[in-house]
Amino acid sequence: MLPDATAVSSALAAASVNAEIEQTGPGLVARISAAENLTALEALRDSALDFRMLADMFGTDTGEQIEITYHLRSLTRDEEMYVRLLVPYDGELHSVWNVYPAALLPEREAAELLGFVLAGHPNPHRLFTTEGIAPLLRKSVPVRTAEEVRNR
Amino acid sequence: MSPLLVALLRILAALGLMLFNGVILIWMLRRVLGHLHLRYGPIHNGWQGLLQTPYDVLKLLTKEDVTPSAVDRILFALAPAVVFTPSLLAYAALPFSGTWKITALDTGLLFTFAALSIVPIGILMAGWASANKWSLLGGMRSAAQQIAYEVPLLLSVLPIVMFAGTMNLGTIVEAQSGTWLGFIPRWNILFPGFWPTFVLFWIAGLVELNATPFDMSEAESELVAGFASEYSAMKFGLLFLSEFSNQFVISALGVTLFFGGWMLPWVPVELVAPFAPFIFMFKVYLGIFVIMWIRGTFPRVRIDQLMQVGWKWLIPINLAWIIVFGTVWKLFTLGQGVS
Amino acid sequence: MIDARNIILETGSLAAEGTYNPGRPPASIKRTPSGVDGLTTEHLIINMGPQHPSTHGVLRLVIEVDGEEIVAAETSLGYLHRGIEKLAESRRYEQLGTLMDRGDYVSGIHGEQAVALAVERMLEIEVPAKARYIRTLMAEITRIASHLVWFGTFGLDTGAMGQFLYAVRDREVLLDILETVSGQRMMFNYVRPGGVVADLPVGIDAMIRSFCDGFDGYLEEHHDLLGGNEIFQHRVKGVGAIPRDTALAFGLTGANLRATGIGFDVRRDRPYDAYPELEFDVPVGTIGDAWDRYMVRMEEMRQALRMIRQCLDGMPEGEHTARVPKVLRVPEGEIYAATESSRGETGVHIIADGSVNPARFHYRSGSLYACQVLEEILPGHLLADAVMIVGSLDIMLGEVDR
Repeated sequence: MLPDATAVSSALAAASVNAEIEQTGPGLVARISAAENLTALEALRDSALDFRMLADMFGTDTGEQIEITYHLRSLTRDEEMYVRLLVPYDGELHSVWNVYPAALLPEREAAELLGFVLAGHPNPHRLFTTEGIAPLLRKSVPVRTAEEVRNR
Repeated sequence: MSPLLVALLRILAALGLMLFNGVILIWMLRRVLGHLHLRYGPIHNGWQGLLQTPYDVLKLLTKEDVTPSAVDRILFALAPAVVFTPSLLAYAALPFSGTWKITALDTGLLFTFAALSIVPIGILMAGWASANKWSLLGGMRSAAQQIAYEVPLLLSVLPIVMFAGTMNLGTIVEAQSGTWLGFIPRWNILFPGFWPTFVLFWIAGLVELNATPFDMSEAESELVAGFASEYSAMKFGLLFLSEFSNQFVISALGVTLFFGGWMLPWVPVELVAPFAPFIFMFKVYLGIFVIMWIRGTFPRVRIDQLMQVGWKWLIPINLAWIIVFGTVWKLFTLGQGVS
Repeated sequence: MIDARNIILETGSLAAEGTYNPGRPPASIKRTPSGVDGLTTEHLIINMGPQHPSTHGVLRLVIEVDGEEIVAAETSLGYLHRGIEKLAESRRYEQLGTLMDRGDYVSGIHGEQAVALAVERMLEIEVPAKARYIRTLMAEITRIASHLVWFGTFGLDTGAMGQFLYAVRDREVLLDILETVSGQRMMFNYVRPGGVVADLPVGIDAMIRSFCDGFDGYLEEHHDLLGGNEIFQHRVKGVGAIPRDTALAFGLTGANLRATGIGFDVRRDRPYDAYPELEFDVPVGTIGDAWDRYMVRMEEMRQALRMIRQCLDGMPEGEHTARVPKVLRVPEGEIYAATESSRGETGVHIIADGSVNPARFHYRSGSLYACQVLEEILPGHLLADAVMIVGSLDIMLGEVDR
């Protein structure tokens, strides 16, 4: 289930991507920089590791930056791994839709709810919320308390 | 009584029949679909569900007539009338008994089909005038479908006209009295040569009725209510009513052409005459029951599949059958020394 | 008998062939005037939804049609967005199940299971055998209930209204069972980290068995009425075919993926609860059209029935839940746990920071990816087909919008 760490790092190195591999948390995580996401994901997809499915993509607000996670899955080898990168608030991230078209909607969702800019996406518009709504998943945007809802 | 008064009374009778039919069919539709679809509500409204009809009619009468601002006002208001009037016209030639008919037209069959063929114009008007893309699609589909199936409908009954030698519906019914070989009633349906005719007529008739499986123009799950989406209250009631009366007309045509009209098998015509209208109506409603039964069971055909079947299959089959039947019939009459 | 023509009951094969290389993004909506011999025509831009009898939930599809043929399609979502992921950050771990209930509201047990599995794995709680069996039993019952909704609405989309009501009639029995067990017909809040809230009530065994005995025949009847109908088959065969590599590239899971021929089933390949001890087959289709998806789901209902009987026969003695503290405090860590829901893989990715609330709760749903693939496969089909395709993909807006 866990892919071989050396295979992953050599696949990424072959594409000249600087990656930090760690085996913590949910499984094997490869940390890369935001600018290299396309090359890294392409390398992982086309390598012998055969990560041809993007099972999930989401973002987290770490308090200082936005951490994007790609959850890759290889059905032929029955392995899963995660690719993580950091994007500054209101920064820019290039879309990976032509490597994994499964990312089309999740990227829009993450960009809208966490507040960063999506580049190279065919339809980079808001998905779930209307104009003027703050990026809801940021820690700084509070959930209204019952008091606030009552006194709206 | 002056002929004018008689004519007026007959027209009023036709109108009354049309309204009465609408009322009966609302109840019948609800009841039939209720039993088929396990819908318990409409079956229990009053005794045997009879209160459902007043509820439905009152609802339609008391609703607010909403006309969207962007519609083409003249066409929008005119369309239900254009759909309703030909349906009323089509009652003219139907024979309810030997003597009960609005008029005895020698071209009765042709006239009925001609009247029914004006209905697609009204539907197209309704779809276009509604200023709603879904209605437009519904209207277009309906126009395409009904125009395409006019031809098979007409062609399918030609063998009967050949056989009876006339288009007068009353004469066609009377030609079905008596028996062959002493025990088979002369009803056209029992003559094997008319079985393909019946099937072709049935299919084309269902398409003309916009009934499932051919109700693409009002496909509930795709187009909301199709061409009738923007209509409310009595305008919608008129469209609704005309659909029910079309069902009556097509079913009546089927009964007249194939099932012996107002006659009972093996019972001489004189005994039947006082009850003839009731027998006729009973048979017609049996036919409508089958239409509703089919409506409650089958999924819908796709519009392009329907058009393909109509143009590529039904018309050639109809033409071929007319040639075959005509040839055999001519040879038979020549052989009999009857022209 | 259910026609097994396109079903290969496989017990292996996660292989997929080919690589999806899109040369262009899914066609975007634009007005394009086109001319033919001096006659200018324009494509019509129609809105299907958000209120529409056939989009299952508030899905809005903006479709550009040329006559009746679809040229481009765009999904417009967000009409049911309730901020579940944000709300989860102010909920305790025991309460997360209620949020999942409201995601995919038709198959709530699967969502609750995903959260329960995630928390249990992070806290290393061992769930007693009886609880595992109860959860599996409820999950399979919910699967049948959800597939019946899909079946009914699929028939309704084609115009066959009867099938919807027959399916609902059978689902009522299942909802009665679920209500007897959990107290609720829909938002169960029954599966919790550690097991289930309450043990199975007395007499439920007979209730479920009587349903199973009747449902065998009813399922055949349902299939006869809809799948055996030639009009339906013409509407559905060859429509909305998704090639294998496209399905994989778009992240499809569940019956949608299995219909294309890739046999990935979370119950078999990432087993949880009592599934390792049950015997079941995973139906797999061939060309991934609406007919294959239909057949796969019908067969899944039969397999679910089989699993329900096995659960009842093999129900162990024991506790219905492990000893779990009233307030769950999860140490720092992260996990992804998935269940096979009726709509695909329902997964939960939790990042915990040692407090009683999760730091990040991400809900991975199968229907979101099905919505994406719509934009890819709709162009080229007729408008009437759009309805069939949306119906066959079994999209539930609750879990798309969250």
